[in-house]
Amino acid sequence: MLTDRPTPGSQTSLREANRTRIVNAVKQFGGLTQIELAGATGLSTATVSTIVKELAAAGVVDTQTTSRSGRRALKVTLARRLGLVAGVQFGHRHLTVALGDLTREIVATQSMPLPPDHRVDTSLDRAALLVVDHLERLGSGLEELLGVGLALPAPVDEATGMIAVRGLLRGWDDLHVGQVLSKRLARPVHVDNDANLGAIAEHDFGAAADVQDSIFVRASYGVGAGIMINGRLHRGFAGTAGEIGHVQVDAAGAICRCGNRGCLDTVVGSAALLEMLRASHGPLTLRDVITRAEEGDPGCRRVIADAGEKVGSVVASLASTVNPQRVVVGGELAETGETFLAPLRDAVLRHVVPNAISPVEVVPAALGDRAEIMGALAVALRGVDVETSPELTSSPRATTLDPEER
Amino acid sequence: MRPSPTLALRGIDKRFGHVQALSEVDLDLYPREVVALVGDNAAGKSTLAKVIAGVLSPDAGLIEMDGAPVTISSPSAARALGIATVFQDLALCENLDVVSNLYLGQERRIGRRLDEEGMEEEARSILHSLTSRIPSVRTPVAGLSAGQRQSVAIARTLLGSPRVVILDEPTASLSVSQTAEVLTHIQSLRDLGHAVVLISHNMTDVHAVADRIEVLRHGRNNGSFVGADASYEEIIAAVTGASPLVPPDHRARRTA
Repeated sequence: MLTDRPTPGSQTSLREANRTRIVNAVKQFGGLTQIELAGATGLSTATVSTIVKELAAAGVVDTQTTSRSGRRALKVTLARRLGLVAGVQFGHRHLTVALGDLTREIVATQSMPLPPDHRVDTSLDRAALLVVDHLERLGSGLEELLGVGLALPAPVDEATGMIAVRGLLRGWDDLHVGQVLSKRLARPVHVDNDANLGAIAEHDFGAAADVQDSIFVRASYGVGAGIMINGRLHRGFAGTAGEIGHVQVDAAGAICRCGNRGCLDTVVGSAALLEMLRASHGPLTLRDVITRAEEGDPGCRRVIADAGEKVGSVVASLASTVNPQRVVVGGELAETGETFLAPLRDAVLRHVVPNAISPVEVVPAALGDRAEIMGALAVALRGVDVETSPELTSSPRATTLDPEER
Repeated sequence: MRPSPTLALRGIDKRFGHVQALSEVDLDLYPREVVALVGDNAAGKSTLAKVIAGVLSPDAGLIEMDGAPVTISSPSAARALGIATVFQDLALCENLDVVSNLYLGQERRIGRRLDEEGMEEEARSILHSLTSRIPSVRTPVAGLSAGQRQSVAIARTLLGSPRVVILDEPTASLSVSQTAEVLTHIQSLRDLGHAVVLISHNMTDVHAVADRIEVLRHGRNNGSFVGADASYEEIIAAVTGASPLVPPDHRARRTA
């Protein structure tokens, strides 16, 4: 494949580059008219029109006639077959909504900042509106939506769809979150823990794709883990498997939201990390700490490195119990790279039971901050009865979307 | 501990005839911080914004930039000081495209010719840095949605790389996904190192992005809250006057 790559600068490579630009622009904006595409890519309308025709013939994009500002226009969207699924992720401070087609391609996504301790009614309402809004932006409607996957930063009991531990997500305890959203969208909603969904995504098409037993650690405002055993997610009886944020690390520590004392979250949760920096750095947000650590601020780096070590020692106990081949680390703290990962890895290897045959590997998440939302799309997809051609779901579309390869 | 504020207002008074719009208002703005200005109708939020933007000059009070007293006599003086404002009406030209709107009155030239490519390039990169979803920088503004217009207006403030950005009701009458876009812009502005003032009625939006919430009531400061700690109830109480005025020394302790 490398040998027949056109030489850079040639006519063919230029056209290929333009093709990629157009596909990327369509991906970024969901649906665009040809005129808008020309503006977004900087290509001439004639070039856009030719390439769109080629791409439509190759089945990469769909075109439909609409009108913009009273004029006829050709709207270009990514080709999708059989309908769409939605993924919704609630974090402590953000909401992400993504739409994916049945080939697991994300066709639209948007994030939104949320207030601390956001209210369940407002947040669910916003999520539902965002889903519908993006369906419309793609030129489709609710009837094309087949299912929804919902990620929550709390353990979820799979059987009932309720949050399994009270107090972790303030105000969300008594509401059947899945049912509320399902009523709004008139579609089945599958609710799960964000770390569990991250584990599924990293197992299906991420850093743990080639192993059967893995642990996904999600270090964010709190810490959680998803455990894959034999290629299947282990949720436990009521969904609290992998809740490493509530493993006791300090018997004399502070009281946790869950009601126990000295949980890992009270030591490495965002509140604890920010409190440590308050005297020296003033009030910061978790994002600030991560940005500053990346910029080389020694205090912020130290706080994140120490958190990595603490998380690592707890992950080591879990790894000794489960014996995974690989530990995949995601979540916001992992965005600092080796600052967080190196101490975590050292702590895991120091505390885990030594294994002569295959020592556990500790690697960063391959899907980055998209792991959870991709997991949500994956479970939404699993809930859909696909009566059509099975080869479609078994061979996910190449993410590069290079028409030559298809 | 903290560096001196980028912009500090001390004891600002402003009256229109018999209406005392602002009375001894204090406000400090720091880089990389979103300050939300909340209050009831006629609490003086927009008047304060106009004082900072140089549209109105205060009757009394002191304005300091980096600790040195300044006079903001006109909007262009404010711009020169690095203060950019997006007012509620956005002030965009419907018939002009995005690039022309961004550079209106401050066009870039090569010799006598307009530097169209250069402006287009920079416009695209600014919109990109705001993670904006405007597909084409050559679309006339008339063809954009309310949220997209808002992002053009915000992008325009970024051209002179200002130090203070003031946004007056940026999420009013926007759909949820447009609100999501604007809130994401506000976060990007903050992460780019600007001091951001957000004037809004929507408590959810305010809480989502504000680092500090300053309450105005009848033209006076009526409380200052750390965004992450303050509950809706506390802030609503300060806005409506249900809670007594927070004394200044208590305020200083809270924001420290």
